[in-house]
Amino acid sequence: MRCHACRGPANVEIRRSRTAYCARCYPAWFRTQVQERIDHERMFRRDQGILVAVSGGKDSLALWHALTELGYRADGMYIRLGIGDYSQRSQAKSEAFASERGLTLHQVDLKEAQGFAVPDLLDTRSGKPCAACGTVKRYHFNKVAADLGYEVVATGHNLDDEAATLFGNVMHWNVDYLGRQGPVLASTHPKLVRKVKPLYRLSERETAAYAIIERLDYILEECPMAKGAKSLAYKGMLNALEEEQPGAKYGFLVGFLKQGRHAVPGGDFDQATDLRECTRCGQPTTGELCAYCKMADRGRKKSASKAAKYAR
Amino acid sequence: MRVTILPDREVREVDARSVGELLKTLGLHRDAHLVVRGQDILTSDVSLSEADQIEVWPVISGGRR
Repeated sequence: MRCHACRGPANVEIRRSRTAYCARCYPAWFRTQVQERIDHERMFRRDQGILVAVSGGKDSLALWHALTELGYRADGMYIRLGIGDYSQRSQAKSEAFASERGLTLHQVDLKEAQGFAVPDLLDTRSGKPCAACGTVKRYHFNKVAADLGYEVVATGHNLDDEAATLFGNVMHWNVDYLGRQGPVLASTHPKLVRKVKPLYRLSERETAAYAIIERLDYILEECPMAKGAKSLAYKGMLNALEEEQPGAKYGFLVGFLKQGRHAVPGGDFDQATDLRECTRCGQPTTGELCAYCKMADRGRKKSASKAAKYAR
Repeated sequence: MRVTILPDREVREVDARSVGELLKTLGLHRDAHLVVRGQDILTSDVSLSEADQIEVWPVISGGRR
């Protein structure tokens, strides 16, 4: 295979567009894709402060790297989720990335700040904390961004993440979630920061290739708590389809965003509009007490009962 | 050839003439993995030889993000 840009030997194949790039030309192609999405979706401007949600994985570090290379003012934020050695390693990767490049990395320690960690949030039915972990991340990324005056939170969600989420929402006909799935979630409350996903049209493989070529030192192993998660099963099924039909994931997601979303009731892609402030924490919510505060109560109770058990 | 599968660094001896054939032999999806020789990512048509030291990198991450 030959590089689409320079005709030299290629390294990264993009099967959905029947092209390939060499390691020298690939980063520029990748960053052009990111820039095009930022511009096309009007995600943010160069004068705005961007907070990148950082996990130490390939997607968030590739996004942070690409944004700084493109000249954006992007700081990072990492949440210490308390998932044993995995959290320690991902924290070290995030800190090293920031310090090597002189970038600002904000951090929240969940256990210290809130009295519980993600392993205290296991769902009784699935036995997994993934949904609760998502709530933790959304809450703290938004809160820190709002408190520190960032105008946008950027996450590393890629094509595979978004296609798997869409697949799950279609499988279960989660119409409310379908209506809110998109690359930009506008702010609908002074304390609710705009959310954007600049990598949403780039596959996990393309993002990993960027991270490898740019020598980004990211955490390679999977979150131990995500093993057996539904999202991984959906990704496996979509990749099996992609094997036979290159471009299937892209067509599924982009087709939905272009055509399907408008058919979904309330599919205006904004965050909830009927918001008030949580009576306990003051963050935007549709009810009296926000979902995070309810979940945090459960987490603290579990954490306390674990501590009592070990004290015996 | 000697193939190291990340992240656990499981080592396998595999007989394959190309990158595409290697992934097929290992039963791995092309879109979920990258094949690396030395510092270079390889496209699926690249020929492999018995002396090659190959790494297979998974690219999928899961959970709610």
